[in-house]
Amino acid sequence: MNRLTRLSSALAVAAMMATTAVPAFTAPAKAATLSGGFDVGPGGFQGNFNPLAATSGFTWLSTYYEPLIAYDEKLQKVVGVLASSYQVSDDQRTYTFKLADAKWHDGQPFTAKDAKFTMELAKDAKSGSVLAARLKAVSSVEAPDDKTLVVKLDAPSASLLDTMTKVMMLPEHALSKIPADQLAKNTWWSTSPIGTGPFKFSKYVTDQYVELTANTDYRGGKPVLEKLINRYFADPAAAIAALRAGEIQFTYVDSNDVPTFKDNDAFKVIEGDSFVVNYLGFNHDSPIWKDLKIRQAVMHAIDRNAIIQSLYGGAAKQANCAYVADQLVPKDVDPYAYDPEKAKQLLEEAGWAEINGDKPITLLTYYTTPLAANVMAAVQAMLAQVGINVTPRAVDTPTYNSIVLNPTPDVSQFQMVFAGLQNGPDPGSINVGLNEKQIPPAGPNVVRARMPDLTAALDAALGETDLSKRTERYQEVCKVMNSKLPWGTLWVANRYGVVSSKVKDFIWTPAPGGGPYQAHPEKWSLAE
Amino acid sequence: MLSFTFRRLLIGSGMLLALSLLIFILLRLTPGDPIDAYIDPNVPMSPSDLAQLRIQLGLDQPLPFQYLAWLKEAVTGNLGYSIKRFDQPVLDLVLSRIGPTVLLMGSAIVIAVVAGIAIGVVSAVRRNSVLDISFSVFALAGISSPAFLSALIGLYIFSVRFNWMPSGGMLTPGAEFSIGDLLHHLILPASLLAIAQAALITRYMRASLLEVLNQDYVRTARAKGVYEFWVITKHALRNALLPVVTLIGSTIGLAIGGAIFIESVFNWPGMGLLLVDAVETRDYPVIMGATLVIGACVIVVNLLTDITYAVIDPRIKVG
Amino acid sequence: MLARTPTRSPGPIARALDRFVTNRVAIFGVCLIVPILVLILSYPLWWSFRPNDIDLLAMNSGPTAKHWFGTDGVGRDVFARVLEGGRISLLVAIGSTAIAAVIGFLVGAISALAGRWVDATTMRFVDLVMTLPPVIFLLVLASIAGTGIWPTILVISLLSWPLLARMIRSRLLELRERDFVMAARGMGAGLPHLLFRHGLPNSIDILVVFATLQIANAILLEAGLSFLGLGIAPPAASWGNMLNAARSTAVLEQYPWQWLFPGGALVTAVLAINFIGDGLRDAFDPRAELH
Repeated sequence: MNRLTRLSSALAVAAMMATTAVPAFTAPAKAATLSGGFDVGPGGFQGNFNPLAATSGFTWLSTYYEPLIAYDEKLQKVVGVLASSYQVSDDQRTYTFKLADAKWHDGQPFTAKDAKFTMELAKDAKSGSVLAARLKAVSSVEAPDDKTLVVKLDAPSASLLDTMTKVMMLPEHALSKIPADQLAKNTWWSTSPIGTGPFKFSKYVTDQYVELTANTDYRGGKPVLEKLINRYFADPAAAIAALRAGEIQFTYVDSNDVPTFKDNDAFKVIEGDSFVVNYLGFNHDSPIWKDLKIRQAVMHAIDRNAIIQSLYGGAAKQANCAYVADQLVPKDVDPYAYDPEKAKQLLEEAGWAEINGDKPITLLTYYTTPLAANVMAAVQAMLAQVGINVTPRAVDTPTYNSIVLNPTPDVSQFQMVFAGLQNGPDPGSINVGLNEKQIPPAGPNVVRARMPDLTAALDAALGETDLSKRTERYQEVCKVMNSKLPWGTLWVANRYGVVSSKVKDFIWTPAPGGGPYQAHPEKWSLAE
Repeated sequence: MLSFTFRRLLIGSGMLLALSLLIFILLRLTPGDPIDAYIDPNVPMSPSDLAQLRIQLGLDQPLPFQYLAWLKEAVTGNLGYSIKRFDQPVLDLVLSRIGPTVLLMGSAIVIAVVAGIAIGVVSAVRRNSVLDISFSVFALAGISSPAFLSALIGLYIFSVRFNWMPSGGMLTPGAEFSIGDLLHHLILPASLLAIAQAALITRYMRASLLEVLNQDYVRTARAKGVYEFWVITKHALRNALLPVVTLIGSTIGLAIGGAIFIESVFNWPGMGLLLVDAVETRDYPVIMGATLVIGACVIVVNLLTDITYAVIDPRIKVG
Repeated sequence: MLARTPTRSPGPIARALDRFVTNRVAIFGVCLIVPILVLILSYPLWWSFRPNDIDLLAMNSGPTAKHWFGTDGVGRDVFARVLEGGRISLLVAIGSTAIAAVIGFLVGAISALAGRWVDATTMRFVDLVMTLPPVIFLLVLASIAGTGIWPTILVISLLSWPLLARMIRSRLLELRERDFVMAARGMGAGLPHLLFRHGLPNSIDILVVFATLQIANAILLEAGLSFLGLGIAPPAASWGNMLNAARSTAVLEQYPWQWLFPGGALVTAVLAINFIGDGLRDAFDPRAELH
């Protein structure tokens, strides 16, 4: 409200000012302040302050909150953050976390009671937690002493550590008085939240920016920067304008805008794996995709290499199953080389003319970026060449979700999708999109893949308690996907951030959902 | 006058009620709901978990119940909470956006009115001169180009290329509040926004003044030997302003809804941007609340326009 | 001012046409729009590229003898897309204007001629629609309708009829009390007779002027919708969604031909139609003769 009165007085004064001289403009913020569009792009979530409700936006949240564990900066292994170490029992059902000596921003010590409190909140859907479903396997959370947290599971879960990285520790002393079902609506989140991270929440100017100040008592050392500012932008284009005008020092950038920065010494382009595999999803409930030959024809018809080289500027890896990481892809997968003649022949053998012929097929997508529009145009043209007539239809996310997650969808509206699915850092992430048990309403297997081999392979991989055998199991998943083609897998693209070259020791990676990963914000600095 | 105002306000409240019902129905016709919008398809959740969230938000209730529940709270002034931003009350969210929007639109209207009337008068007085024709062409070009295109070009030239103006936003983040900073952020979007309105006002002003200048009383005044300057400012202008006031009134009413294009290009934290975002994320309570607040503003502004009309032209009696 | 004609006095429409032909600006507008229309309608006959032919080897190339307006981000010919976009933009504009004109005329005329109760209810409804903040109405309607040619036509026409309905009503309200309408009513003429034999001829001028200016508005509105990701979605071409490419600073500064040409075409077309609309308005307004 304070801001509002200030605004209205500003209005009145502004009117008076029109006749008098304009005073000197204020100098831009001081050098020890780093401003960025930390919530721009697919990994961001502007306006959300509640880590329990966060489906993304962890890059920013983890500058003032911290989880027990997080990925390292390469997103390869899970390391301790608020937990100095952790152990997993041999039966994969007991996780023991040893907690570090840390203090909340208000000076209170962080203890295992806080950790237990947070885990209980995260498990409770009433608190508005989006993690509740993923923590269903947790049977008990105990705090035997101040520095130890023990999490027990009903059954081994390969994805528990991944989920735990998203559980940001919350202070029991500040939140325990608020009933769980009122928690999400409490203003604490955006006015006076406290965490244990290197920066402290300072203020939020509604829908414009969030400001943090250095937590000088941070256990990892006093942060170099004094302030960290997260500016909100309606879209990446606006953030790029601000970056080029020198108002912010960092933002996510769509790949087709990267060339503007490539040869510019004032900026550094950060490239990273998106961990999202893009695919053409065949709706297996539609009769037209029944024959494997037709699905193979789609793969051979699309010149993925040309699209990657020209539209993605080379910054994507062809995917022949859901994975592209070397250790997960077996040597003998079919590369489905671009071969329109072979595609035509396969279609003929399958009798495409009778199955569908040149009737238009809706290719549904929720990707609305200019790059995606170009990709869809290319895919449309390439499929048309072999006699498959697709009509791209880009819709907004709610429309897309309401169509594909509907338990009884209208197949004529939804025959094929151009979509993406997170495939890492935990390779088990793809299970929900492909396992037969995950067909809506049970789960988000939106393509309705009913492939017993694939389901068996996925179940085997997820249930594998022997860590050394997991890679092998996922290779099997890859192999089945590659031969049975539940999707027409396309590629895994890179994503980009651009940072001013004045910023030193900056760590960022385009992690799915924004992380969390170890970014060490306390080390970031700004040269003159 | 009082009873007139009272009656109009009464009709206005009925209108608001009907408006809220209309927008409620329209919103439920949009594909997908707030929960569908909440989920990133790349990191999907199962429909059964989503159903859980819907129950939490009361979205599983029958529609008439949902509307009545909303209405019951709304009449007491509680417009509920945003769905996308759980912890933010709709009223605060909407009110915090009105300030910036009124500031932007107000400045644009002031620029447009001053420029529009001045150019209109000059064009009418110097009819068919080179000046008049070039203004006319400029005005028409202003009306004929899409607002977002001039905004994008303006942004590129003044901010990205030459760095004279900030690229967007309303205040420099982290800096102390100052009027200079605010004006610096305001001037570019407000001027760009004013172009189309100024063009419209110019044309109305010119046409209306030309008509008035042909009236008998103007001729009489001239015949009496009144200076041309006074003929125009005192006799003609006042009467010529009438249709222009109506025009300005109708623009103000619309203005509170925000200028989506300028706001989205300049990242101005106004109503338009809030609404674009709220519709994209199907944030029902925000859209309902914003509709009510803007609707109320439009009704009040229309009423004020009518009253202003009566003040400028004594022949008009309200009631 | 007009030369006295030896023949008998022409009808009002003929007189209006006379005035229109002598309006230099309006004729200039006609001279601008006719070539545009001819190009747009005939281009598949003489231009070798089609608007959706991609060429990944010739992406983002500037204007050349082969591609007059250069190519876009997937190597599509910008010239072909500008013309195809013109087809779609004009189709949307004309289609939505026609629908808005029909709805606006029917609602306005029925309201004026069908009696007080009908009048009161319809006018309250028109008021309601006009109080609905246009930004919200536009966004919500567009979300319901989705993207594509027909949804866009629907959205634009639903947004623009109320103004016309008001204008028609106030014109025809005067008519209601006139002798010949009273006589027709007395003789038991039905509503359709009143609407089309008396209502239509007496509001034809409003309709013509509304239609012309509305086409210009609709072109701009389509562009705006496409800019917001509503309206016409790619890969279909429209002037609006081609202009949308200018959002990216890379396109704005490095590939200006991708937005300058559709932008130029759009502004020229809207300008020309506005010229014609103004000319028509002056032509139909008898007071215009005074000037």
